Amino acid sequence: MTTSMPFTRIPPFEKALDTPQASAAVVGVLTAIAFALRFYKINQPDQVVFDEVHFGKFAAYYITREYYFDVHPPFAKLLFALAGWFVGFDGHFTFENIGDSYTENHVPFVGMRALPAILGSLTVPVVYAIMKETGYSTIIAAFSACIILFDNAHIAQSRLVLLDATLILFMSLTIYSYIRFRKLRYWEFTVEWWSWLIATGFFMACTWGSKVNGILTVVTIGIAVLVDLWDILDHKKGFTMEHFWKHFMARAVGLIAVPFIIYLSFFYVHFAILTHSGAGDTFMSPAFQETLIGNELLMNSQELRYYDVVTMKHKDTKVYLHSHPDRYPMQYDDGRISSQGQQVTGYGHDDINNHWQIIPTKALPEAGRGRIVHHDDIIQLLHVNTETLLLTHDVASPLMPTNQEFTTWAKDDHSRHNDTLFYLNIVDGNHDDPWKSKSSYFKLVHGSTRVSMWTHSKQLPEWAFKQQEINGNKNPTEKSATWFVDQVISTENPEGHSVDHTPKEPKKMSFFKKFAELQLLMLQHNAGLTSSHPYASGPINWPFLISGISFWTENDEQKQIYLIGNIIGWWTCVITLSIYVGILGADLLARRRGIQPIPEAVRGRLWNSAGFFLLIWAVHYLPFFLMGRQLFIHHYLPSHLASALLAGAVLSFILSDTINYPISIAGRWTKMKHSEYADLGMRGPVAVGVFAFTMFLMFLYMAPLTYGTPGLDGETVNAKRLLSSWTLHFAAKVTAEVL
Amino acid sequence: MATKRVGRPATPPPGLPHVAPSSHKYPPIRHDQLSADERREAASKGYGPGRRSHSPGGLSITPGEWKLLAVVLLVAAGVRMFRISKPNSVVFDEVHFGKFASRYIKTRYFVDVHPPLAKLLITAAAFVFGFDGDFDFKDIGKVFENVPYVAMRMVPATFGVATVPLAYLTLRALDCRATTALFASIFLTFENGLVTQSRHILLDSPLVFFTALTTFLFVGFSNEDKKEPFTEQWWTWLVLTGLSLGAVVSCKWVGLFTIATVGACTVLQLWLLLGDLHVTPRTWARHFFARAVCLILIPILFYMIMFQLHFAILGSSGEGDAFMSSEFRQTLGHGMEDTYADVALGSDITIRHLNTQGGYLHSHAHNYPGGSGQQQITLYPHRDENNIWRVLNATVDGYEQYDYEHKPIVYIEDHSRIKLRHIVTDKALHSHEVRPPVSDVDFQNEVSAYGMTGFVGDINDDWIVEIEKGDGSDKQSSKRLRTLRTHFKLRHLHSGCYLFSHKVKLPEWGFEQQEVTCNKNAVKANSLWYVETAAKHPQLPADAPRVNYKIPGFLSKFWELQRVMWTTNAGLTDRHAYDSRPSTWPGLRRGINFWVKDHRQIYLIGNPFVWWSSTASVIIYMLVRGFLILCAKRGYRDFDNTKVVKYDSLCGFLFVGYCLHYFPFFLMGRQLFLHHYFPALYFAVLLNGAVFDLVTSTLRPKIRLQIAAVLMIIAIMTFSKFSPLAYGDPWTKKKCESARWVKTWDIACNEFLDEYSQYSGVTVPTLNRSTPMATIGGEPGGRAPIVVEDKLGQDEVAPPQDDHTTAAPVGAAEPGRDVFAKDEQKEIKSQIIAQDVPVDIDEKEISVVKFEPTNEAAQEPSSTREEDKVYDGDVGSGTRTGEPEDQGHPGAVVENLEEVVEVGEDNDKPRVPHGPLDHEEAIADQVAYELYPDARDVE
Repeated sequence: MTTSMPFTRIPPFEKALDTPQASAAVVGVLTAIAFALRFYKINQPDQVVFDEVHFGKFAAYYITREYYFDVHPPFAKLLFALAGWFVGFDGHFTFENIGDSYTENHVPFVGMRALPAILGSLTVPVVYAIMKETGYSTIIAAFSACIILFDNAHIAQSRLVLLDATLILFMSLTIYSYIRFRKLRYWEFTVEWWSWLIATGFFMACTWGSKVNGILTVVTIGIAVLVDLWDILDHKKGFTMEHFWKHFMARAVGLIAVPFIIYLSFFYVHFAILTHSGAGDTFMSPAFQETLIGNELLMNSQELRYYDVVTMKHKDTKVYLHSHPDRYPMQYDDGRISSQGQQVTGYGHDDINNHWQIIPTKALPEAGRGRIVHHDDIIQLLHVNTETLLLTHDVASPLMPTNQEFTTWAKDDHSRHNDTLFYLNIVDGNHDDPWKSKSSYFKLVHGSTRVSMWTHSKQLPEWAFKQQEINGNKNPTEKSATWFVDQVISTENPEGHSVDHTPKEPKKMSFFKKFAELQLLMLQHNAGLTSSHPYASGPINWPFLISGISFWTENDEQKQIYLIGNIIGWWTCVITLSIYVGILGADLLARRRGIQPIPEAVRGRLWNSAGFFLLIWAVHYLPFFLMGRQLFIHHYLPSHLASALLAGAVLSFILSDTINYPISIAGRWTKMKHSEYADLGMRGPVAVGVFAFTMFLMFLYMAPLTYGTPGLDGETVNAKRLLSSWTLHFAAKVTAEVL
Repeated sequence: MATKRVGRPATPPPGLPHVAPSSHKYPPIRHDQLSADERREAASKGYGPGRRSHSPGGLSITPGEWKLLAVVLLVAAGVRMFRISKPNSVVFDEVHFGKFASRYIKTRYFVDVHPPLAKLLITAAAFVFGFDGDFDFKDIGKVFENVPYVAMRMVPATFGVATVPLAYLTLRALDCRATTALFASIFLTFENGLVTQSRHILLDSPLVFFTALTTFLFVGFSNEDKKEPFTEQWWTWLVLTGLSLGAVVSCKWVGLFTIATVGACTVLQLWLLLGDLHVTPRTWARHFFARAVCLILIPILFYMIMFQLHFAILGSSGEGDAFMSSEFRQTLGHGMEDTYADVALGSDITIRHLNTQGGYLHSHAHNYPGGSGQQQITLYPHRDENNIWRVLNATVDGYEQYDYEHKPIVYIEDHSRIKLRHIVTDKALHSHEVRPPVSDVDFQNEVSAYGMTGFVGDINDDWIVEIEKGDGSDKQSSKRLRTLRTHFKLRHLHSGCYLFSHKVKLPEWGFEQQEVTCNKNAVKANSLWYVETAAKHPQLPADAPRVNYKIPGFLSKFWELQRVMWTTNAGLTDRHAYDSRPSTWPGLRRGINFWVKDHRQIYLIGNPFVWWSSTASVIIYMLVRGFLILCAKRGYRDFDNTKVVKYDSLCGFLFVGYCLHYFPFFLMGRQLFLHHYFPALYFAVLLNGAVFDLVTSTLRPKIRLQIAAVLMIIAIMTFSKFSPLAYGDPWTKKKCESARWVKTWDIACNEFLDEYSQYSGVTVPTLNRSTPMATIGGEPGGRAPIVVEDKLGQDEVAPPQDDHTTAAPVGAAEPGRDVFAKDEQKEIKSQIIAQDVPVDIDEKEISVVKFEPTNEAAQEPSSTREEDKVYDGDVGSGTRTGEPEDQGHPGAVVENLEEVVEVGEDNDKPRVPHGPLDHEEAIADQVAYELYPDARDVE
């Protein structure tokens, strides 16, 4: 880059600022402040705060190697576990409730919190570097960095054991690497070019591995790459198709294959560490559970034989299959008529009426393995207490006219024999699989009508004591019609009823099967997080900082941590964002009418680099509008970072008519274009200086809510409630009384 | 300008008769007037080839085609109206739309998720042909009595017929060949799905018609716009497009997709116009405003006029009342008497929740089964003396009870500290640190009624009135509590939470009334209350000011109804036996069972040939277009070819229409059906025509006609194969099985008889008997009804053991869900059925039933015994002392430790036996319900 400028005179001060030394000094100062702000009183509060309940717990599970289940991929949590292990946390503390004391339980929590604090602090220089590499001057880069540096939300989020600091750092590193990669576009297929390509892929995998939302970063880079490839395809550039395919394959390797392998490796480590049975067992399939040491299924599962007496539980609602001598009423309230047979219900408690005996429908050998029940066998179930057989028939069930009624029939009355036959369908079972207690999930499909035994959480009326309805679902493959044998009450098994307590060897399962199962479950559960939370908020509120999240409160000293951003920084971002969209719109209209108000180079920067920032912002923000799940303001933090980058770009556009150009590294065949230099003048440093100072003041003003200390009295809390929608605790109450 | 005149014919010499301007003014050969360069330039701007070459504007078809069109129209009418009077019973959603027609005729207010236009048209037909609104359209398969159902069905059928020529005209206006237009219109005529849908009282047929009409008018307008803007014809086409847009969105909200299509094309037109530097900004602004007025303002006005009509007709109250605000109900003949405006200490008031339609703050002599076990507080939607509360001053901290009867009047001002005394049970509104029964979360506290006669109460009875806002017309209302005018919050003095309610129902023990809690993080909207009535205060003069609800104007009524429709539409997420997701529609994976009766079935299924071929043409278009884009990127110049440009803009328009009528459904979580695909299908069929036009463009006309004829014949044959399902005609099992081309088509083949000859024995029932008839079952979502013949007056009860009658038939037809019917509040007063709430019965104990086969008596359900025991105990002691409630949260003021938990006094009444014993009564109720719908409605 040449500095000899024929047209603009650069003030010496500005020139000095843009030397590498000055730049290093600025970034050094910013980083130092970032560390200071994020480590200040990091041991405060010495209690479990907000989602530390989850993520602290997960770290503990890694250390104790107990299996758990979470919707987020494991990378960030592995880092926490590593940090915890490093500072000597033994995993005994389980982070049960918000407000549990660390000090009393001797948890080295400072070490664990230091990790996100370090990562969060490092985000600031990365933001600076992104701006610098994109070709903005030191002042502009410092401006963008300041928006992150003094932001209360970023600070609060990265001082606690939460995943977002990791996510945000790796996201910014991904952007940084991609920009470096793009700048080498005239040096394609060199070592450097490959390194930055693979670095992009690597960081992308880390981002995705930290939190589910990281997938949005993958999408961002994906879109940018598609645009890039589309450009290479253009015949006006004069590239051959061969050249195009070469580029295509390089990106496929660097941005698909490499990240995927890394992402897989996180899970590999995850499974390799979590070898013991733990809280997450029940989420997984029986086959998976049996790979865990000390798992209940592994310990207690036994093969079932005919004439065993067992209890059966419904997998989803956890009720027992139950029957009692009471009969269905002749007619229901809505006028439909029942069979008046004996009631069959779902019942939540252990009871003698839950006992059923497995009756064979074929000749059995006297002893031996022939007496074991297998997949696809036709069986009858005898209700032991009333000596009746389970039966279903073409009569509508009490609550659902579309489903069949379940009842029982006297054992000795053979008139309805065919209606008492059921196929035993073990889920994922093969022909000769034995039926096992605990570990075999099964469906009970009726022989003649092909309905499967099913239940749902609706209660029957008083006449059935508000127990759950059991009915026949017309869909024999219905997913929720899954049951399992809970207990074996009596058996003629030669080894007897005694369960040997010698630890059994866990079974093996291929890594890819485990990975596929876990991914599917994560997807399902992520979509299922729809319950309401008092601090959940809709995406439309986020950029304007309408509401925050109360992380933690302490009543005695009226301390609280409230996640809320620095209102100056956030609103600046919103304003610059709208200015940017306005500029783009005006530019489009003007060009449509044949006017070209912006010089070509500046316009290119505005569309390409700032446009890339806008893309990052939009891709990390807009998809949340489509999500039905519980959303919080911290989901906006990655977008906020992107909007800080955009704010810098817009500020540069406002302050100067020129840009640093070109910034891409010229290749052998690149035509050297006329280069130019951004000219901010003195107004740049002054404006940014004033802005940074106000940001800092605002940060200090809100700091007690970010650090949770010192405690505030009611009046102060009221004063800090800048928007009426913020629900702070301990606000002074306005009370007046009459009489 | 000069170049423009080059191609024109010379002015006729003077003296010759002047040729009147007609559609033939400009010769049909149009493309050759542009040089290659000009053509390329025009193409690059996206113009059709005709832009500079005097587009004919509007529509130009030859007189011969009008005759052809007449024939097509006749065929379409024949196909759609064939035996329209069969079946003579209710089919599918006629359950709802027939019912709405009867509501219109009876002028009883109802609420529906769809706008009124199509329903009004159906009603008009019904009214003209003398429908009195007495038939209730209750169940699918119910035989019509005194209903001009043929006339009502003719409305959708007429629209269905009219759609066919519109397709023809649209394709012609899009510059397709007559053969193509005929091809597409025959495809539409013989589309089984469209035929089935348009033969019944359903809204989709008008919707598709107006979608087609809008498309046609807009195409006409665009042609006119290419020729010369701002002519009289141009304005006519534009205004008609606007009106038609209004009509489409007034049929169903799906019409918004049509608006989106027209909108997208208009934006494109304006964008292109902006790029034309010959157009001055002034002209451009004229273009812009003309379109804004005609395509935005006119549709909105049209839509609002429809609602104006809707409100004008529905003048009296009906089952839709419960969804509307109290102000709205004032317009439905439910008028409340004027009430006193002032609220003071000692006033007897009723308090209503502002945001939900849950009703009045209510309490009754029943206790919470869990939590504190104190008396319930609920929201109750009907007027009742249990809603009355007396405002008293707070009495703890040494305050005396204020003698409001003799001392001067004390108004309730902002931040007044008050108690609310429930007059009937003489208890105070109370809250404490106990989790509420349903919303069991940390930030919610239970609200109960607590206390007894003579007991002054404790600090947990004290509430602070926080006035949120008053009414502009009543200055005082923002300073002190005024009936109806002041919206206020009630803050619990001790715990700082706000009295709160939300759309959560209590379980059966709370009579499914709405839950009331005290919420520490209350959403403001749900913690606002107002006083609805205030009885006369002893110190007020008889002529004290009175107030009443303000009668809302049209706009506020309109907005309120839109909101209700929107929230309900979004909440329509129940599953239906025959619902389907959008991804299954283009492949025609499944139909809808409309009606099954007398071994006949009506099943909504498309014409597979038409359906699949149109889907195929959509896919072909996407592939070819994608390929062309890639080619262009690599430097091939296909887009300079006029033919490519012509078909690109033609297919592009239809494709955009298809996409905008199809893909938005993916974003909808609500219940969706196959018939939601019909507007998209219409575009797909047109696109199919366009693709046909392109493929055959190089062939000679005769061969083209022959190919078209073969395709049309295949379509007609496929139609006739499936036509028994559309018309509800006799069919055989065998034929039915052979027509199940796709495994997932769940046609009820077993319903059909084995031979056609067997049908001659089965008479189509036309039972219009005068003797009373009742049915059991057949409720929406349930089984088909069982006709119970002449049960009244017979003591004998039908044997219930008959397996055949109790069976749930496979695949019973089920109408779409009418949320507004389901949500109706129970009209039962809470006291009447109050006796059955078991108190404190441990669930675990109920079920242990010892089996003793020898002892008959022991087989009696143990719960009965349990319940009896409790009941006896209660009668014996009247009240029993409960354990002191644990309210020991830190820093609490000393609570009263002698709280008395009361068990409902009216347990003294004999219990009504429930369960198996009272089925006779249930039957009687059922019959009465069937026979006297009027009596039911009056309740």
